Amino acid sequence: MSSVTIGEPAVHLEDPDKVGRRWRTGILLLILADGAFVAALLFSYFYLRGLNTEKAWVAHGQATASIVVGWLLAGGVVLSAALYHWALRGIRAGSEPRLVLGTLLAVAVLLATAIGQVMQLTTFPFGVADSAYSSALYTLAGANLFHLLLTAFLGAAMWNRGRLHIYSVTSNWQVRLVGLWWTWVAGAAVLGAFTTSFIASPNVGG
Amino acid sequence: MTAPTFGARARAWSRRAEVRGVFLIWVVLTALLCLFSFVPARLMGAPASPTKQAVETTMTLFTLAASPVAAFVWAIAIYSLVRWRHRGKQAPTEDGPAIRTNTPASALWVVVSSVLCLFLLVWGFVEVQAVATSASASDAMVVDVTGQQWVWTFSYPQEGNLESDQLYLPVNRPVIFHVTSKDVIHSFWVVQMGIKVDANPGETTQTSVTPDRLGRFDIRCAELCGLLHADMETSVHVVSPTDFRSWLRSNGGPG
Amino acid sequence: MRRLNVGTAVAGGLIGGSIAWFLAHQFLATDNPSGSNQVTILTMVGWAIGFMIGIGAFHGPWCWLMGRDQSHEDEKFLAGDGQGIGRYFRFTTDHKVVGIQYLVVTMVLLGVGGILAMMIRTDLIRPDSGFLSPQVYNSVVGLHGLTMIIATIIMVTGPFGNFIVPIMIGARDMAFPRLNALSLWLIVAFVPVLFSAAVLGGIPTGWSGYAPLSDQAPPGMDAYLTAIVIFAISSAIAGANITTTILTMRARGMTWNRTPIFVWGTLASVGLAIPAFPMFMGSMVLLGVDRTVGGQFYVASGGGSPWLYANLFWLMGHPEVYVIVIPAVAALMELTPVFARKPLFNYTAAVLSIVGIVGLSIMVWAHHMYASGWAPDLNGPFMLTTELISIPTGIIFLVVLGTIWRGRIWTTLPMMSTYAMLWNFIIGGVTGIYLSDVPADYDLHGSMFVTAHFHYTLMGAGLTGAIGALTYWFPKMTGRMLDRRAGFASFWLVQIGFNVTFLSMFAAGLAGQPRRVEHYDSLFGVANLVSSLGAYVIGLGMLILLYAVVSSWRRGPLAPANPWGSKTLEWTVPNPIPLENFEVLPVVIADPYGYGEGDLRVPVPRAPAPAEAVAGAATGADGATTPTGAVMTRTDAPPIPEQERP
Repeated sequence: MSSVTIGEPAVHLEDPDKVGRRWRTGILLLILADGAFVAALLFSYFYLRGLNTEKAWVAHGQATASIVVGWLLAGGVVLSAALYHWALRGIRAGSEPRLVLGTLLAVAVLLATAIGQVMQLTTFPFGVADSAYSSALYTLAGANLFHLLLTAFLGAAMWNRGRLHIYSVTSNWQVRLVGLWWTWVAGAAVLGAFTTSFIASPNVGG
Repeated sequence: MTAPTFGARARAWSRRAEVRGVFLIWVVLTALLCLFSFVPARLMGAPASPTKQAVETTMTLFTLAASPVAAFVWAIAIYSLVRWRHRGKQAPTEDGPAIRTNTPASALWVVVSSVLCLFLLVWGFVEVQAVATSASASDAMVVDVTGQQWVWTFSYPQEGNLESDQLYLPVNRPVIFHVTSKDVIHSFWVVQMGIKVDANPGETTQTSVTPDRLGRFDIRCAELCGLLHADMETSVHVVSPTDFRSWLRSNGGPG
Repeated sequence: MRRLNVGTAVAGGLIGGSIAWFLAHQFLATDNPSGSNQVTILTMVGWAIGFMIGIGAFHGPWCWLMGRDQSHEDEKFLAGDGQGIGRYFRFTTDHKVVGIQYLVVTMVLLGVGGILAMMIRTDLIRPDSGFLSPQVYNSVVGLHGLTMIIATIIMVTGPFGNFIVPIMIGARDMAFPRLNALSLWLIVAFVPVLFSAAVLGGIPTGWSGYAPLSDQAPPGMDAYLTAIVIFAISSAIAGANITTTILTMRARGMTWNRTPIFVWGTLASVGLAIPAFPMFMGSMVLLGVDRTVGGQFYVASGGGSPWLYANLFWLMGHPEVYVIVIPAVAALMELTPVFARKPLFNYTAAVLSIVGIVGLSIMVWAHHMYASGWAPDLNGPFMLTTELISIPTGIIFLVVLGTIWRGRIWTTLPMMSTYAMLWNFIIGGVTGIYLSDVPADYDLHGSMFVTAHFHYTLMGAGLTGAIGALTYWFPKMTGRMLDRRAGFASFWLVQIGFNVTFLSMFAAGLAGQPRRVEHYDSLFGVANLVSSLGAYVIGLGMLILLYAVVSSWRRGPLAPANPWGSKTLEWTVPNPIPLENFEVLPVVIADPYGYGEGDLRVPVPRAPAPAEAVAGAATGADGATTPTGAVMTRTDAPPIPEQERP
């Protein structure tokens, strides 16, 4: 098959802003998909907690995870999101150094949180097989860690590309879209911390 | 003023060839499908409980209700095909009439399907209440049913926890099954009595029935449960109260 | 990047899998079930990552990270410009290439699933045939189910959603061409993972993978769960891509009330898939935790619950059947006006019925769990939502019948599929109503009746619709006409065989035969014998269809640009379709169903030069038919005048 077209480049170049609006829709849909995944995990937590099968949601005498640590980790993600949005405002106001510095700080905070998440995972006062509660905590922590690493990749790209003068006050839709994703990740982390704050099952009757 | 106009229009409409043709096919198909409506219940076999009887009635009734609908769809399809068919390798040279919609026809369609749906719902809710009566009977017998790969075990808590791998039930006495599993999910299905509930590990589920026919019936597992799922079947013997007592005695029960 | 193709991908996958396998053996204890599950999953993840590296999927993100955006030349190469047949074996971004790739993958999956179906029916031909051992039988049943479910999920939105929809809406490509290629190659990476289950002890659970049977299953289950995770990622990406394309890239003037119904159906399907499959992925991640590190999610003694799995599974599983059926039926609604030569009847109702089904479909999942004992008090409400679906489904029949009524019924292969759907889907729908009734479902749940019912919907309506779509768009996708005689023979064999097979399966189910049993009471002997014979007839018909497709694709007569005289945009582009479909983007001035409306809808004067270009393009290669599609389009770029519509 030939692919000759007349009068136009064979690959059509489009207005970057149009592409940006399109990507915004795409990112929102991907956030919806990821949201369904996170919702499934959180639903599992609350469902098993509510059901408390054989009264073994939390095994008898089992230690539970620190709620404070969970909220601290969520706080780390929120802080990194705030730093990122500070950087985003910078580039929207035309300050490229603020973009580079802000994304660098945001990624640093995010990686520090990821290290904290790994430390929490390795120092839980229970094993993954102890009870449904402990399995759920390990899984939620793992999912959060995955989120953080993916976001760190995006943040690193923003920092590097900012450094290379790719974004400007008029052309920054990629920075904005990464900001959307970052906000969602922070929201997911808060939802996770909120969920794991509820430990003991309300269903204790005979 | 409008009434005669409407009547005249209706008469003209009913004289149209396509209306008459579809009506004729519809009547014939409906009649055939109504005759067919009694087949599903026959295939399900003679019921051994009021529950199964209710299910078979439902099957017949729903098939009867669906008959004119299905017949109508097929009548239009058949008539259009016969009357307006275009053969050949080229597209028809002339297009059909540019009918974009027909509001009365669409409205009627939605109303009729809503009414049918409402009927299904009302029937369903009434039937759910009716088949649940065995569960609240004061003289009900309780049977604990345990599934494990790949056998059923029955135990009679009111009869000194007597255990058996075949189910014996006295006729015409409500029975409540408490069903659980030792390993994976099974499903406790008494075929001729029309009841089924899953056997879940860690949970006890309940179903109930009043057997009303003497005889030997089938219990099958209805949830894929591993290697020998196909062999996980046993029998239920519905016997007279006297025979039930003597069965209990001969198996070490209190009688 | 330029040297990568499917060969390097397989090599990369094998290397990745081997490295993962080697490392896992070095560092993990493999002398227990958890250990071997860990090794299996890691090896498969290694395969998938290696495969995606080998095909070049990570090249783009890496360049992006490094700040090296792709040049115009790179994009042209990625789109497969001037690469001949080789572009079908690369990470090619052209939506038409991806559509063809999806079509081939779908046909492979359907073929394998069909062979597995023949094995099942052969085993069941006699009450105790012993053709397959129970272990093999269970595995074959599970693989058949899963293969067919995946194949039917992608069979319409994959090939036709990618190839046809962008042209139909007047776009040059998908919104995200690279994500498009990514979703396709993830599916390719998924296929060997899925089928490796056959040699890893099989899937003993059926396609539904119920826990805790899945917790005690052999490593074949690891293949199942890894495959589903890959598939879920692929479908989320494809869903986001197709949805964005439809939302943002419709041609100027293609308002929502002028958008072809097939585009609506595709949007509904992929839109439902976006939240549905990640939930399935979630349930599979939990299963993976259970199987590899002793998690307790589905283990009752550890505080877990099999009902958790069932809920997550059916939260995906019921939207999923509409993911399959809606686009297939929408394709039939799209082609029926073409062959009835009449406008689509009550377009608004057609759209509303699709929207209604989508809305209700997320509220009916627990009708699969009436008999689970999970929440008997909720059975009533779920019966309500389930039976409400009969109303929008009925409207689909209204639309098709209204379109056929008084039309010029041109009995081509696609139109025959519409007729087959009218027959099959009525039976599938009515039997669905029996099953929605709680007491009747207590009796029929888990029996062959259910198996027959969902084959009537997924195969009788879904696959029939997909075959209708294939026969309809075949001339546009391949540039050649499909062999009519072979197509007719296949149609009758498949449809008659199908009805024989599954009508007798209803009988077996009513008489009390459970699903998924390797042998059965001789009471069900006749029904099963007839069912198996019918299945062989389907198999024969499908082989003839395969022959028709392959031989026509290679040597069939060249197709004119618009052989059916259709009015949608994809028929205005010439055969073969140029790389970016349209030289000048079309402007839409009416919906594509103006059959029989004569010149009423061409009031807009066309700009001379581009109109000529399109007319030339449309009469195209062998100049056979003039597309009436030009009626709805004009090809100049200025804003749409106010008086666009009479």
